[in-house]
Amino acid sequence: MSDLMQTFPIRRIVEHGPGVKSFYFDKIFNVEAGQFINLWIPGLDEKPFSVSSITGDQIELSIKAYGPFSKEMMKKKAGDYLGIRGPFGKGFSFHDKALIIGGGIGIAPLRILAQKLKEQNNTFISLLGAVTRQEIIFSSWWDSLGQRHFTTDDGSLGLKGVVTDVLPEILKMNDIKYIYAAGPEIMFVKVKEMIDPTGIPYEFCMERYMKCGIGICGQCVLDGSGIRLCVEGPVLNKEALSGITELGMKHRDASGRRV
Amino acid sequence: MINTHFLNIELKSPTVLASGILGLTASSMQRVIEFGCGAVTTKSFSLDWRTGHKNPSIIPFEHGMLNAVGLSNPGIDEMVKEIRLFRRQCTAPVFASIFGRTLDEFGEVTRRAAEAEPDMIEVNISCPNVHSEFGQPFGESCPDTAKITQIVKKHAGKIPVSIKLGPHGPGIGKLAKICEENGADAITAINTAGPGMLIDINVRKPVLANKTGGVSGPAILPIAVKSVYEVYRSVKIPIIGTGGITKTGDAIQMILAGAHILGVGTAVYYEGIEVFDKLNKGIENYLKEQGFDSIEEIRGAAHE
Ligand SMILES: Cc1cc2nc3c(=O)[nH]c(=O)nc-3n(C[C@H](O)[C@H](O)[C@H](O)COP(=O)(O)OP(=O)(O)OC[C@H]3O[C@@H](n4cnc5c(N)ncnc54)[C@H](O)[C@@H]3O)c2cc1C
Ligand SMILES: Cc1cc2nc3c(=O)[nH]c(=O)nc-3n(C[C@H](O)[C@H](O)[C@H](O)COP(=O)(O)O)c2cc1C
Ligand code: FES
Repeated sequence: MSDLMQTFPIRRIVEHGPGVKSFYFDKIFNVEAGQFINLWIPGLDEKPFSVSSITGDQIELSIKAYGPFSKEMMKKKAGDYLGIRGPFGKGFSFHDKALIIGGGIGIAPLRILAQKLKEQNNTFISLLGAVTRQEIIFSSWWDSLGQRHFTTDDGSLGLKGVVTDVLPEILKMNDIKYIYAAGPEIMFVKVKEMIDPTGIPYEFCMERYMKCGIGICGQCVLDGSGIRLCVEGPVLNKEALSGITELGMKHRDASGRRV
Repeated sequence: MINTHFLNIELKSPTVLASGILGLTASSMQRVIEFGCGAVTTKSFSLDWRTGHKNPSIIPFEHGMLNAVGLSNPGIDEMVKEIRLFRRQCTAPVFASIFGRTLDEFGEVTRRAAEAEPDMIEVNISCPNVHSEFGQPFGESCPDTAKITQIVKKHAGKIPVSIKLGPHGPGIGKLAKICEENGADAITAINTAGPGMLIDINVRKPVLANKTGGVSGPAILPIAVKSVYEVYRSVKIPIIGTGGITKTGDAIQMILAGAHILGVGTAVYYEGIEVFDKLNKGIENYLKEQGFDSIEEIRGAAHE
């Protein structure tokens, strides 16, 4: 682990489809499922990204083109040097008979979670949704892991619709003991409404604007609880989430304003 | 815990959260208080919101931290709301840290900040990482330091004012004297030092987006101790000794140099928020072991 900024070359790149890629670096540190790193494009900016898997002796980051930073990432080539600080934060805890719910590129931290759950012989069902098929990264890999459900807004993979369309049925048909979620906060708010009444415990991997990643600047602190998402998160359990008053509401930008 | 009096303010402990660390929101500041911090200082704020510099803006290195946050803040309206909210939720003192781009703006921000009734207004005239935008920090010029102190005092009403100085410029003892002569109630010493720079050897570029940034943490402890020592010799008003305090011994050194209370920032990274509890207990133990009853007995002892 190193909180200090160090630069490393990209070893290889996998393209999942237009605007979604995975980048591989030497495994410079060990990482818990759900932890993130701060990635620096020299001369541009630095942003947080989940580690999406450990594959052999490499770590993987999976990135979707969105704004200036992630679009610049799409232009990067193997051999280019990028800065990495981390890993930061606390990851997922491991439980058997789990349900993994992911939305869009939020699937990234769930991939490494699934890897680790499997390593420890925990069973799980996955329910992954996205706008379109390339955003369900590594879909055939998920196929190989057991019961899985895909949804896409355009119907290009799995069911046409969203994860919450199929969630009630999955809950009814299976003995689920733990739920993991990652993805857009609005998705999670809807998921939460459905799973709260069941009493099943859960964890959600959350996102906020981050600067330091090391619990100093206060940028990622959540209203209500004072939790620093970069240190005590990004994965929060049901109890931690219940103390947050800003879930599904406006977030702070780089200045600290709610926008 | 060691109750501490400072400018007619009652603190439950002598350790204070330094400006720019976890001081953006009421929730955040309240959490720090729960870890034994005696008072909180808000992030420095200005009239209008500011995005600050791009990232990387905060990076640790082996002996400390380099930051060029660039005085990002949500602006005075948001911060006044957060101070008021903190007041409602928490009885611990809160210090409002303010800055302005111009001398007049210092007056206006002070007037507005005073409406939130903070226990003290801390005036940041020494941020070293907005050079490209603001030029030389006001706090490195004697005439500007005098003028800002006057303007702020005029608008602060009955709320006490501490001027936050850096280690650079015409001499911190001299600057502190100017602040005292112009009505300052306290001095906060020091802000970050430098600015400094770190360069990545593979991409051959400065790591901070702003290229340069203020140095904090263990690396600056000797500079901070010496600065507090100088200020103590030159003025009678109390000092918030800040800079590099991580361990008990650092805190004691600051008190021996003359600090009244202690600002703690970067140590939150090294020791966690628990650092406040740890320092408070450490100070208490030191006093007991050395046969003292209070901090007063050792304050400035290094001068004797
Ligand atoms: C813990 C964490 C893990 C993440 N993991 C991934 C991942 O695995 N894959 C992935 O593609 N993206 C991930 N992100 C999002 C990523 O950090 C960027 O926000 C995203 O790439 C968009 O940046 P942009 O500059 O391209 O777009 P922008 O237009 O700048 O930003 C788009 C949105 O991203 C958010 N954002 C922007 N800057 C930051 C910042 N410094 N910190 C946090 N949020 C910001 C804002 O809400 C903004 O509205 C993660 C974010 C967090 C906080
Ligand atoms: C990330 C960061 C942000 C800071 N922001 C401010 C600020 O907004 N206003 C200010 O007066 N000082 C600011 N400072 C300076 C600190 O308040 C403190 O004076 C300095 O860091 C030395 O103390 P330390 O070594 O305990 O951190 C900041 C320091 C850091 C590390
Ligand atoms: S990003 Fe700075 S405290 Fe979390």
